[in-house]
Amino acid sequence: MPKCTINGKEIEVKAGATIMEAMYQMDEAIAHYCYHPGLSVAGVCRLCIVDIEGNPRPQIACNTAVTDGMKISNKSDKIREGVKWVLDFHLINHPLDCPICDQAGECGLQEQYMEFGKYDPEMAERKVKKHKVVDLGPTVVLDSERCILCSRCVRFTDEVSKTHELGIFNRGDRSEIGTAEGKELNNKYSLNTVDICPVGALTSKDFRFRQRVWYLKDSDTICNGCSTGCSVKVYFNKEGLFRVRPVVNPEVNGHWMCDEGRDIYKFVNRDIRLLKAKKKTNSGEWTELTAGAAAKEASGIAKSAGADVALVLTGQYTNEEYEKIVETFVKDFKSKKIYHWINNKEHLNDFDGLLIRGDKNPNTKGLIGVLESHSLTSPFSNLEADLKKGTVKTLVVAAPENFAVYLDLKEKLSLFTKAQNLIWLSSVKNSDLDDMNGNIWQIPMKSYIEKSGTFTNHAGLEQKFHKVTTVVSESLTLGEAAELLAGKNISVAVTPTRETFVEADRRADLVRLEHRKKNEFVYKRGSL
Amino acid sequence: MSVVQNTSEKSKWYLPGILTGMMITMQHLVKNLVNKKQMTTLNYPEEKYEYSPRFKGNHVLTVKKDGSLRCTACMLCATACPAECIKIVASEHKDPSVEKFPIHYEIDILRCVFCGYCEEACPVDAVRMGPEWQTPGVTGANFIYDINHLAYRPNLKGGILSHVDDEERIKSGI
Repeated sequence: MPKCTINGKEIEVKAGATIMEAMYQMDEAIAHYCYHPGLSVAGVCRLCIVDIEGNPRPQIACNTAVTDGMKISNKSDKIREGVKWVLDFHLINHPLDCPICDQAGECGLQEQYMEFGKYDPEMAERKVKKHKVVDLGPTVVLDSERCILCSRCVRFTDEVSKTHELGIFNRGDRSEIGTAEGKELNNKYSLNTVDICPVGALTSKDFRFRQRVWYLKDSDTICNGCSTGCSVKVYFNKEGLFRVRPVVNPEVNGHWMCDEGRDIYKFVNRDIRLLKAKKKTNSGEWTELTAGAAAKEASGIAKSAGADVALVLTGQYTNEEYEKIVETFVKDFKSKKIYHWINNKEHLNDFDGLLIRGDKNPNTKGLIGVLESHSLTSPFSNLEADLKKGTVKTLVVAAPENFAVYLDLKEKLSLFTKAQNLIWLSSVKNSDLDDMNGNIWQIPMKSYIEKSGTFTNHAGLEQKFHKVTTVVSESLTLGEAAELLAGKNISVAVTPTRETFVEADRRADLVRLEHRKKNEFVYKRGSL
Repeated sequence: MSVVQNTSEKSKWYLPGILTGMMITMQHLVKNLVNKKQMTTLNYPEEKYEYSPRFKGNHVLTVKKDGSLRCTACMLCATACPAECIKIVASEHKDPSVEKFPIHYEIDILRCVFCGYCEEACPVDAVRMGPEWQTPGVTGANFIYDINHLAYRPNLKGGILSHVDDEERIKSGI
């Protein structure tokens, strides 16, 4: 275990650790672009130079191993001067695009420039023009002028996604990031390259130009896209949620997340949400009412059914909610007819080797745990048989938030509507259900960003998350809905609408990127 | 509360005071009849006062040589605006050298405090504050100015050309 001194503070690091790792370990600030803790060391940006005692010239911190008794400093004037000049070299061909660059506000160049910038450039030559707005693939757009060739994205496709799409082509100041001829950046983790890009060279098509980053607030939560349960950050403002990015969590996802998970904000925004409760009796018209009133009314129906009330649960709610609703059903309704709706049984244990799992519910493990603790093990086929016989009077369904992964939704809906009364607890609108006949109550539920709770991931790791914001002010949690259905009087907090999201007045884009020719320039290896 | 009352002998001689006042009024009347140009008042709705060209009145969005908007939708004006009256929706432009442009630029002029921060924040001379200041409207919607009004209203005669030109910038290699 070598010991070294960094800026006067002594620290012990594990054998073979680099100076950069030691600096990360003690939270010491150091300028760097190409180093990323999740990737291999490239040592191309030369920004992380440090002074080592006894060494005549500065060394780069990311590629120098710590030896015992090393005395390191990066606060001296010599180092500041060095970083300033290295930064100026990076900026020789960097365009002044900041006003239209999506990265502005969270850009590595801007940050370092504020600290080390040489505010008086001495370059008399013209900047080298490169390709702008290159369509790299279905998710990512490249602007090679802004690229500082840190090679993080290239290393990502080589080491993490192992798809080897990106590379650096040409030489000298004409070097550019690009894909080989006929190839495009198309893998399930491609948007991580956008996250790790320290400048605005790689931008996400989904987020491009939608908001300036300084208008967004962020909050940590758990991705509910699959049973991996990655730690993520959602970015939102009062116009809605805009993007999702991974948060470092070595136990679960490391530094990365998948592209599918970045779409999870889409079924939370108001435009697809069930905003008001509605009911339909005897195949009449839908009438709207408040969620609380609808739940109270439905409670009469549920109670009259006695023990003939059944409950269907899906793996997209929190442990606390499952506990509450199962307890209510067992104690208040004296019903043991509680079933687990599994969407894709055959892919349940699929795993792509990095993060994506076949089980697209965040909390299947938690649901199974709660059901087992109440020794409820009746299979879903029992419910199907009961529904076909017509012995289920009232059916309560805790519907999934993300319908897209429930491929059997439509056939299951026609099965559920065979019950005399269907109480459909859902956060999302469902046009299929709107067309169906029967006595149906639809009650809006809170989505995962509007409540606090716990998800148990595939490995049994319990992860707590907290409420981020309110989107639909009237919606209930599953626990509240259960208590209201049982006829209890509880107070439900309703956030005033002015504090919730306002819908963005977003017109259809006049021009879309699809209009542009795909891969408008291609490189040929060996043609130089 | 106390009221100071002037009960001196002198105060009883009010007539000279009134006559002096009448005299000044008559002087002005005669002066204005003889020399109308010197008059300090205006017949307001018919006659209008002209402020200096630097007066910060209603906004103008400048245009490029081809008549398209100069604005790059960087939203710095909306960020700088203390009244939060500017609303911009950005989009992808067909031309990669333009890249980003506004498809929607609205100023709620009733909220605007005419501070001029938007003009100062703009990196490309796209928004300016013009000399117009009398802009009555009948409904609230008349006071929300969109691109058509801000850049192409009739009295701008096809739009005001911006000082900053992309072509020159690209030619000089910045």
